[in-house]
Amino acid sequence: MSAHIRPVSPLLVVLIYLALCSRLSSMRAASSCTNGQTGCHFLSLANLFDRVIQHSARMHGISNDLHSEFELYFLPSKNQIGRVSRNCHTSTILTPNGKENAQRIAREELTEVILKLLVAWREPLWHFHQNMAQHHEFNNFSSNKSLEMSDMVHELRRGVQKVVEKMQMLGVISSSLGNLASPEALLASDRAEWRLMNDYDLLYCFRRDSNKIQNYLKILKCRIVPEHGC
Amino acid sequence: MAVLLSSNLFLILLVSALDWLPTPASAFLIDWDRTTSSATLGPHFTDCISRDQETFRCWWSPGSLQNLSSPGALRVFYLKKDSPTSEWKECPEYIHENRECFFDANHTSVWIPYCVQLRGHNVTYFNEDDCFTVENIVRPDPPVSLNWTLLNISPSGLNYDVLVSWKPPPSADVGVGWMRIEYEIQYRERNATNWEALEKQPHTQQTIYGLQIGKEYEVHIRSRMQAFVKFGEFSDSIFIEVTEISSKDSTVPFTLVLIFGVVGVLIVIMLIVISQQQRIMMILLPPVPAPKIKGIDSELLKKGKLEELNFILNGGGVDGLPAYATDFYQEEPWVEFIEVDEEDAEGGDKEDNYNSDTQRLIGLPHRNVEGFRAISHPDDDSGRASCYDTDLPEHLASLLPGQPEDNKTCLDAPATEMGEKPLIQTQIGGPQTWINTDLYAQVSNVMPSGGVVLSPGQQPKIQENTSGSERETQKGGKQNEDVEGIKEQKRNEPQFQLFVLVPEGSGYTAENNTQQTSTPPSTSVPGVGYQTIQPQPMETKPAATGDTNESPYILPEPSQSQLFTPVADYTVVQELDTHRSLLLNPPPSQSPSLCQPQHPLKVPMPVGYVTPDLLGNLAP
Repeated sequence: MSAHIRPVSPLLVVLIYLALCSRLSSMRAASSCTNGQTGCHFLSLANLFDRVIQHSARMHGISNDLHSEFELYFLPSKNQIGRVSRNCHTSTILTPNGKENAQRIAREELTEVILKLLVAWREPLWHFHQNMAQHHEFNNFSSNKSLEMSDMVHELRRGVQKVVEKMQMLGVISSSLGNLASPEALLASDRAEWRLMNDYDLLYCFRRDSNKIQNYLKILKCRIVPEHGC
Repeated sequence: MAVLLSSNLFLILLVSALDWLPTPASAFLIDWDRTTSSATLGPHFTDCISRDQETFRCWWSPGSLQNLSSPGALRVFYLKKDSPTSEWKECPEYIHENRECFFDANHTSVWIPYCVQLRGHNVTYFNEDDCFTVENIVRPDPPVSLNWTLLNISPSGLNYDVLVSWKPPPSADVGVGWMRIEYEIQYRERNATNWEALEKQPHTQQTIYGLQIGKEYEVHIRSRMQAFVKFGEFSDSIFIEVTEISSKDSTVPFTLVLIFGVVGVLIVIMLIVISQQQRIMMILLPPVPAPKIKGIDSELLKKGKLEELNFILNGGGVDGLPAYATDFYQEEPWVEFIEVDEEDAEGGDKEDNYNSDTQRLIGLPHRNVEGFRAISHPDDDSGRASCYDTDLPEHLASLLPGQPEDNKTCLDAPATEMGEKPLIQTQIGGPQTWINTDLYAQVSNVMPSGGVVLSPGQQPKIQENTSGSERETQKGGKQNEDVEGIKEQKRNEPQFQLFVLVPEGSGYTAENNTQQTSTPPSTSVPGVGYQTIQPQPMETKPAATGDTNESPYILPEPSQSQLFTPVADYTVVQELDTHRSLLLNPPPSQSPSLCQPQHPLKVPMPVGYVTPDLLGNLAP
């Protein structure tokens, strides 16, 4: 037995070393390139942006599906937009409402808006999902979507925070975003407003905000790393 | 479980159906509004569309009331709900020719609800469904610069793949990332009615697979915002057609035909080979002829029959012998040693004369004594001298005790002579006082009962020739008995012994003479053995002759006063006594004279044979 292991063991060692080397190199390429190569940094930042944008797009799709489904079940085919002056709890957050506005705004502000939105929606969606699970009118299909939606918001916020850290490391944006570390401060203003909204309004508002997030992220990427697919 | 599955499927269907169901934000496109009679309908908005998410337009219609169709009769007001204190404002830009209100970028805000209404002189026509947000009414323009390239053609030459590429609509600011568009390609054959739709994807190129050569296809594209439902207009159609390319057609079927032909030929050859396997094998590998020897059955050449074969080759099956002769002599192998040899009658070669089969078998060193000589005529029935294999004499020699010589390979046939020097001489002089017994005896006559009358041998040797193959099986016991007999006789006086063959199966039985112990050695082996018949009165005769050794046989010439009387090969059985022993000499009641045996009853008979008419005299 040992005679067989002996010629194999150096081979195994070599294979493991090669695998580790390849993995390390890929990781280096993906996350932390050497300081001297700025192109490597931007490539990794662009990859991060792509992932985040894809995530936000999917989140928006789910929110759209849920909203439409909700309308079919509970509301007649009537436009509810004008009926209630819907005031989403995130209306206090100043967001650019046009392309020029979004382009004119500073990167740091845009990033801050994104993060504020993401933070503001975490808790309401969680409660929404809890309500959905209790309501037996909805089957598992919708319940899974609401759960997925609430999880996505959480994941997207973490992803955007990573992007911000990367940007701050690269010096793309200044490090003046100190208040991002404390999401509770952002939620202090509108802590109770979302509880007053019913489920349908919640879905409507979130659908709108997820579209905002998706848009802002894309604009941010195309402003910072435009050469990598815009 | 089935209920859950069905409800899931229902929900899936509903969600998928939402694509074509109008969203509440786009009230303008509710079909049922239009299907209702527009005659009774008042002024209303027909549609509001944004192409680039930066501006949007709204169209209205005066409805059935004609008096409001003049431009300026109706005014558009909109409400932008970006603050609780918002108010209705009038359309920023009118295009009366189209009954259109254009909202430019300054007046357009995304993600903010808008409501539009029509106002007449004193009438306000407002529908609650006419509220929307800009992102929900976006319908992007179709892509531009549509073109296609041929990717490949299938090996059969019937289908091909096409790569279609285009550019995003210029109005949509994709470069900034403001709009994320996905595209849908549809194609159909030229004269078909249904369009084939491919999967929506956000890239600016797509491959169409499986188009047929020779047919013309029509392709167009439309675009929409990702995760939204409203599609833009279709682009202008392009036409794709690929004609046949006959460069490869000639080669492909030719190669196919060649391959199939070769395969078919191979199959046919294999079938022929398989069906004619035997004959082919005969031609390619002819069988080796088996060895054939005349007169010998090839069965004997097979394994396990070496002894029989040896027997046949050595004696029974000599080439040229008729079959019956071989069979005849197989039973009496000792006949083989009989040879008519006139040259040796006088004993030309001393050694030949002196050598006898018996001596060789016994192993006597002295060769002066003649062996067993048989009176035989050179008739054809007698067997020729032949050499046995070494197995035979060695076999016998090993059984004989104290075989001094064992290098006898051949046993010469003894010369026929009468009155040769008996073996008695050797017996007297030789240190080895082996009792010579004749291994052979001549059958004088065959009794009607089946018994065989033997002529006396030269030495009172119990041993009988046992070279017959059929006796070899009995040889074991017989030899043992013979050994015993020999030993006994060795101790005792040489006796006269006579061999009687009882063909009933009892084999040979040897009776010792009365001098010996009464127990015949034959009892040791049941039914096997020699039985020597010792005529009682014979003992007197030798005494009279003064020979220390009894001659078992009556010498025909009583005048011989030698110590060793020539032993006759044959003797005549005179009578049978009560003990069922053959009396070769009549009991010399008068005197043990060495005269010729005078049988009162018998007439002197020639030594040799007992004629059948004399058999009657032999009755006990």
